[in-house]
Amino acid sequence: MKGHMKIFSGIMLSAALVLAGCSSGDSSADSDAAYPSKNLEIVAPATPGGGWDTTARAMQNVLDSEGLVESNMNVVNKPGGGGEVGWQYLKGKDGHTISINSSLVIANNLLGQSELTYEDFTPLAVLATEWMTVAVPGDSEIEDGITMLDQLKEDPKSLKIGVGPALGNNDHLSFVRVAEEYGVDVSQLDYMIYESGGDILTALMGGHIDVATLSISESLDQHLDGSINIIATTADEPIPEDENIQSWQDQGIDFTFPHWRGIMGPPDMTEEEIAYWDDTFAEMVETEGWQQVLDNNSWDDYYMNSEETRAFLDEQSVMYEDLMKKAGLTE
Amino acid sequence: MGVDWNSFFEGLTTAMSLQNIIFIILGGLLGTIVGMLPGLGPATAIAVLIPITFGMDSTSALVLLGAIYYGAMYGGSRSSILINTPGDGSAIAATFDGYPMTRKGQAGQALTLATIASLIGGTIAIVGFVFLAQPLANFALRFGPAEYFFLLLFTLSAVVSLAKGNMIKGFVSMALGLLITTIGVDSQSGVYRYTFDIPHLSEGIDFLVVIIGIYAVGEVLYNILLLNDDSQRIKESVGKTWITKEQWKRSFWPMIRQSPVGFLIGILPGAGGSIASMISYSTEQQLSKKSDEFGKGAPEGLAAPESSNNAAAVGAFIPMLTMGIPGSGTTAVILGALIMLGLQPGPMLFQNQPDVVWTFINSLFIGNIALVIMNILLIGVLIKILKTPPKVLYPIILVLAFIGTYTLGYSIVDFAILMIFGVIGLFMKILNIPTAPLILAVIIGHQLEQNFRMASVSYDNVFAMMTASPIAILFAVLTVSSVFLPMILGRLSRVKVNNKG
Repeated sequence: MKGHMKIFSGIMLSAALVLAGCSSGDSSADSDAAYPSKNLEIVAPATPGGGWDTTARAMQNVLDSEGLVESNMNVVNKPGGGGEVGWQYLKGKDGHTISINSSLVIANNLLGQSELTYEDFTPLAVLATEWMTVAVPGDSEIEDGITMLDQLKEDPKSLKIGVGPALGNNDHLSFVRVAEEYGVDVSQLDYMIYESGGDILTALMGGHIDVATLSISESLDQHLDGSINIIATTADEPIPEDENIQSWQDQGIDFTFPHWRGIMGPPDMTEEEIAYWDDTFAEMVETEGWQQVLDNNSWDDYYMNSEETRAFLDEQSVMYEDLMKKAGLTE
Repeated sequence: MGVDWNSFFEGLTTAMSLQNIIFIILGGLLGTIVGMLPGLGPATAIAVLIPITFGMDSTSALVLLGAIYYGAMYGGSRSSILINTPGDGSAIAATFDGYPMTRKGQAGQALTLATIASLIGGTIAIVGFVFLAQPLANFALRFGPAEYFFLLLFTLSAVVSLAKGNMIKGFVSMALGLLITTIGVDSQSGVYRYTFDIPHLSEGIDFLVVIIGIYAVGEVLYNILLLNDDSQRIKESVGKTWITKEQWKRSFWPMIRQSPVGFLIGILPGAGGSIASMISYSTEQQLSKKSDEFGKGAPEGLAAPESSNNAAAVGAFIPMLTMGIPGSGTTAVILGALIMLGLQPGPMLFQNQPDVVWTFINSLFIGNIALVIMNILLIGVLIKILKTPPKVLYPIILVLAFIGTYTLGYSIVDFAILMIFGVIGLFMKILNIPTAPLILAVIIGHQLEQNFRMASVSYDNVFAMMTASPIAILFAVLTVSSVFLPMILGRLSRVKVNNKG
């Protein structure tokens, strides 16, 4: 027993010394050494294997292998509450922790599901976007977006619409926006909410739903194969894999809608820290490694630096607030 | 789609390359170890190991991830058999008869039997995969909300009916499980139910936490209460390793029958190994002439679900490889990894990259054989667990339970939930309430509810839902009969006995 105590106190002592060493290291770094002065953390507010997680790990991989960041980087998974858990964690951290985000950082708060707003954080960049699509089963009689809207205008309950993973997300809102503008009574629409894009695809291919909103990476392969048919996209440019795919703009509806992914840091980051990430990300998006990541995921480059991102988020917030009101999700 | 034998043999050659064989063995071994630990299922194992595959070529990455997956399927039953603690949902059914076999001093035989059953299930499913992948993928598409609802309802009723003569207790257990699944955000309406402003609860309670709590923690608590009661001790002898002729004879047909069942259920997106093994177990119990031995160490009660869940694991790859749709949580993670590697799993994969697909399928064959050898060699090591003194073993199980729980949600909220379910598990044991209906209800309750809600958008009433398609009718009939048939048969047999007497 005595022997154990000795070992135990020995461990405690060395732990204390190490801790002391760390903290003194930090304080000197704060005053003069360059940022980043210690290990960096990338928060993936999702379980390993999910979309945010793969984004975080791909980014870490590119930053590391291209030698853009010298410090060690760790991806930490903080899943739960549609980003809430991870972002709460980020809020209490210093500038050495950054997190992946998406429109949910705006939407959660507007829907009353979170106290946090995008203004609680330091915007650092928007990196990539995907466009949204509206798709029907391959053998559907509906062949373009306008036919679908006409049918919904006549009888909003005539089509079963698959969305996921929750009402109020970008899939749902982008659909509501178009339908509302066309004069459809959007409060009457029949939705089926599925947990993932894969579930929606299965239901669509099996004919259990009539229409679905999916991101382009979720629907493109099956469209090319003919098992489903994309009747509209929210893109502002043709889809390179199949230029016959019509955007809403092509069909006379002035609407584009990016499903973006970005990066933000904790509140009150210093000028120097923000500048560091502006330089780093500007370089990263030019690398071949990052281009490969974009290609593999069917994402489009959507890079904005910290200043542009701040303005973009303000704009997005106004748009989301408006969309949610129209969808009947908020007062 | 005919089988492209050229690609098949090319795939075989690639799969036999030294590099891929090493990946198969490494992945299988890692998977087996991880699968044995409570809560660390194949999905977690693969997710954590994804960064290793960065920079690997996509074929080898797929081979490695696949090996981890079915390695974990083999490993999952180990802890069920030895310490009554399933590592994953699909290993629950292995506790029903596997653990009683251990208590009878047949641990070695139980482990061997489960391994052989896994091999048979896996092999039959791979043959099915080679010949039937495309038509079966289309079969899976016919499952809409109504079909899913009745399939899930049938699974629940089958498990409740296992508690023979004690259906009330089985029903209570199931109801408790269903109540638990109402926690979290409701997908169809977006309403937060019973989350008490704890963000972590918004996604509901992870069924793995419930499994670890009820089985691992509950079992430890129960045993601590009985620590000085020698009559409860497991027999020191672990028996022979090789199975007897009688055990083989009793298990053979159940394994052959239940493999296709598991395979078909595995193909359905979202169903998977837990449902497959439960359905296989309960149908075998209904079919058996010795059904009163089920739950007391019947070898076929272990073999049937084990072959079924391994077949389901192979089946889950069909929607992923033919349509680009993940058929289970684990395949969803693999799919994500493949996309990162630049492979486009989906409808075009068989056409564009047949070499990848066929190498993978052949690696499944090789992997199954390698795993059988590894697992039989491991038996000697594993049964040492039974000789570990309880004072050492139980704390280790508890530590593993907490680690496993943490990796699920990276949150200490789960620790509180784990302890609550540990205590619930303890009381269920003392009161002799079956735990399987609760666990299964927690696994499928959410899907059951959501599919019912979606089906009510499509159909006007429950009757229309039941008659939506032949599949829906089939499962609706099976549901009703699984609840009432045992009752009626029980009556009849009693009448017979009375007549004789």
